Amino acid sequence: MVRSRAERMADWAVYAAMLVLALAFLLPVLWLASLSVRTQAEVFMGAARFIPEAPTLDNFARVLRDGGFQSYIWNTVKLASLGAAGAVALAAPAAYALSRMAFRGKGALMLGILSVQMVSGLVVLIPLYRFMDRLGLLESHFGTTLLYIAAGIPVTIWLLKVSFDAVPRSLDDAAAIDGLSRVESFALITLPLALPGLISAFILNLILNWSQFLIPFIMLSADDKWPISVAIFRFAGSTSAATTQLLAAACLLAILPALAIFVLLQRYILAALTAGAVKE
Amino acid sequence: MVSGPLPWLLPAVGVLGLFYLYPILEAVRLAFTDARLFDTETQLSMRSLGSMVGSSTLGVILRNTLTYTVASVVGQIALGLAIALLVVRAERARLRGTLVLRTIVLAAWVIPAIANGIIWQLLFSEAPFGAINSALRLMGASPVAWLSDPSNAMTSAVIATIWQGTAYSMILLYAALKTIDPALYEAAAIDNARPWERLWFITLPHLRAALVVNAILILIMTLNMFDTILALTGGGPGRATEILSLYAYGTVFQNFELGRGAALSMLLLIISLGLTMVLIALLPRDRR
Repeated sequence: MVRSRAERMADWAVYAAMLVLALAFLLPVLWLASLSVRTQAEVFMGAARFIPEAPTLDNFARVLRDGGFQSYIWNTVKLASLGAAGAVALAAPAAYALSRMAFRGKGALMLGILSVQMVSGLVVLIPLYRFMDRLGLLESHFGTTLLYIAAGIPVTIWLLKVSFDAVPRSLDDAAAIDGLSRVESFALITLPLALPGLISAFILNLILNWSQFLIPFIMLSADDKWPISVAIFRFAGSTSAATTQLLAAACLLAILPALAIFVLLQRYILAALTAGAVKE
Repeated sequence: MVSGPLPWLLPAVGVLGLFYLYPILEAVRLAFTDARLFDTETQLSMRSLGSMVGSSTLGVILRNTLTYTVASVVGQIALGLAIALLVVRAERARLRGTLVLRTIVLAAWVIPAIANGIIWQLLFSEAPFGAINSALRLMGASPVAWLSDPSNAMTSAVIATIWQGTAYSMILLYAALKTIDPALYEAAAIDNARPWERLWFITLPHLRAALVVNAILILIMTLNMFDTILALTGGGPGRATEILSLYAYGTVFQNFELGRGAALSMLLLIISLGLTMVLIALLPRDRR
């Protein structure tokens, strides 16, 4: 196809706009990376040393050697993965019932689940604080994980219903003729065929849980129980200008796992993000 | 054998009942008491509601919430739509780099909101290591009090929010743009339609449902935003960037006024639901 001069000019304009946008979205993270490899002296030289003259990995070494940091990362991995697994495990049977069974009040139930997503974590955490305290679940990872699971269930039900809907019903009917029970047909036929959907839902939960701040911030006051999100916030509040390079290194280390999961599994995340909102 | 839907639904619905429905009912009850966080004795009282409505602070907080929410939501949708249109345009011309751009924008969305607040604090910082001000100084311009000047702080909070949240709008609107029949644009080209006419008469009407769904989701996320502002400004300077969620948090966990905080969180919930209803009314009829 021969493109006209005007079209080629327009292409250059599109390129220029793309470049500007890419820089706008990249620079904040690059700035963080730049601060994280500077010495204290170069931190104070600001933008003039965007590329440091004496780059150092000392800041990372100091953060990584810190016993506290290792425990924050471990706590995050534990809370995020248990929360994601729990949400998928509890949401899957519910999503199957909503996908395959007809019953009274189904429409209202689906609307109810959808509207739970509108509820801010803060609204429920305010009364839950005393409730969890009475149950002895405050300050515990077990209680915190329960709240991660609860927060993940609505969107997970929604995602899994979409992927169960895509598995042909005729397979269920064939399984019933072969004498399989509902539970067997769910476990042996629907779940394996909906595996990409299950993975999408798990990964989306994992990333959202990695970012989760409010639940652990309110539930956990002891330093050794904190996930990384709470830890870097507390660290940011306690640092002075002299330790900015350490804050930058810790912050970068906190976001790297989420970025890595995202880049490796982008396909699944995009599927999860668009499944609920864009039908047809 | 398991036959009815109940055993299938019970685990998930039970957890939601325990950790969402019960707390909401409890918050409604608490709003009508004078409960304090660490006292078990509470009395039925209208004092919490009365002091909430009567305080002059609430007006400031609601104005902040309105400014922050409207500016952030409009900004995220407008920028998200612009990037989605740009990516579609670039793909049609088979330009390289669209996937890279999409990945970079989406990566911002993956960054935890609390880290987003810290990153933007380092960018807006008025100390020597503040990126934007030290770049301005290098170019000979005078630095800006991004976070310490009350009239700038809200703009800074909105910028940080838009930077992170735009990816979500971009990806939803991009998916919706791909569903528009290309034949419509070919017909428009034959009629010599100008670009803005194509946008106004073809693209936007077809995006209506996606834009409304997008607006609802972002509106809820923005109204409930806590992490980014807490890490960026902590609601300050003064109360310049204190929105309803931060105010409710501070009321309960710093002033221990549980009853008043519960009333504030109910107000947040009512605003969320009310605005969602308004937006649902804008959906095309067949999608309601």
